[in-house]
Amino acid sequence: MALDLSTNKYADVSYEEKERLFAEVKADARWNHVMYGCYECGICVAACPSARFYDFSPRVIAQAAAREDVDLVYTLMNDSVWDCSQCFSCDRCPRQNSPGQIITIMREVAVKNGLKTAKQALEGYGRIIYKIMSTGTQVSPDMLQPNAFPDWGGHVKEISDNLEVWRKALPPETLHTTETGWQITDKTIVELYLIWHMTGVMKLIEGVDEGLFMILVDVMEERLADAGYDDVSFD
Amino acid sequence: MEHEKINECVIMKDLYYSVEDNTWIRVNEDGSVTVGMTDIAQNLAGPILHAKAKSAGTDRKKGKPIATVESGKWVGPVKSPISGVITEVNEKLVGDAQLINRSPYRDGWVVKMKPESLEAELKELVTGDNAVAAYKTKIEHDNIKACTHIEGSDTYE
Repeated sequence: MALDLSTNKYADVSYEEKERLFAEVKADARWNHVMYGCYECGICVAACPSARFYDFSPRVIAQAAAREDVDLVYTLMNDSVWDCSQCFSCDRCPRQNSPGQIITIMREVAVKNGLKTAKQALEGYGRIIYKIMSTGTQVSPDMLQPNAFPDWGGHVKEISDNLEVWRKALPPETLHTTETGWQITDKTIVELYLIWHMTGVMKLIEGVDEGLFMILVDVMEERLADAGYDDVSFD
Repeated sequence: MEHEKINECVIMKDLYYSVEDNTWIRVNEDGSVTVGMTDIAQNLAGPILHAKAKSAGTDRKKGKPIATVESGKWVGPVKSPISGVITEVNEKLVGDAQLINRSPYRDGWVVKMKPESLEAELKELVTGDNAVAAYKTKIEHDNIKACTHIEGSDTYE
């Protein structure tokens, strides 16, 4: 979708609110290491793979942030930051700016504040997050469904129909599963749950997807209780 | 059984719905209730891979998850439309979760529950023509795409 910067699309959001969010971005400990000022050389755009395929520009992000254009930063925080693939090819700026890392901070602020556009952008990743956080492994083989991965071509149906057989054909026993990438030990998964609990990750998820938060808490509290951590609560 | 179709999505008029959470309940003669996902919910989820219900004996407050449902890229809770104790889990879903896609209102039910305060909570759910009207509004408001039904789905003619 084209990025429309011709009007103040979010005029209904107060300037104070936009200023508050930008202040949160600038208060981040990384800010002073990623934003130095931009002279528009365009090296970041030339290196950016997303700029080739989307109406997206790391230079616009760096410029808006450097000029402290509060309205524009808010628009970009909603309509542009999710087009970045976070590859950090833009980390070749002669002024040592990092548009990619500025975007990381902007995304985190968008998530922490529950912006609607952040929820929409992350909607499609719900099951991937559920898989990582409940099983400790990333995507699961059974995601290979014709409706989820049509870009795999016609043979994706054949793969998904016979997935259990394909997985059993893999030599390591830890891969004989279709629901997780590989088997994870109890000790590892309990430690992961505790890290996510202590670092506030669960609070972030609650702000973006309440349903996902609920089912993760269900899984985590039960397993933590089994491991003797029955005093851990996500409320 | 009397029903209505909105944008190819079926609404059974004899059930009680939590429209926001896309769940239904049927009040059984013995006072228990059967809980399931709506046709709209199965459509939004797409072909379902896993439906894991909480075990029998679990006490749940209204709005808390009674099951986790996973499709290719989506995961979400089935939120309980009422408060009560789960008395039975639909074991058929363990090996065949797409039963929810094919028969959301009949064989694809999720759990049965012993309600805690059914009379009061029924008032917060909608049924009959009110349910149809509420779903009409929701489908238009949320711009929900027309329901599709996989091979072998129940017919409602």
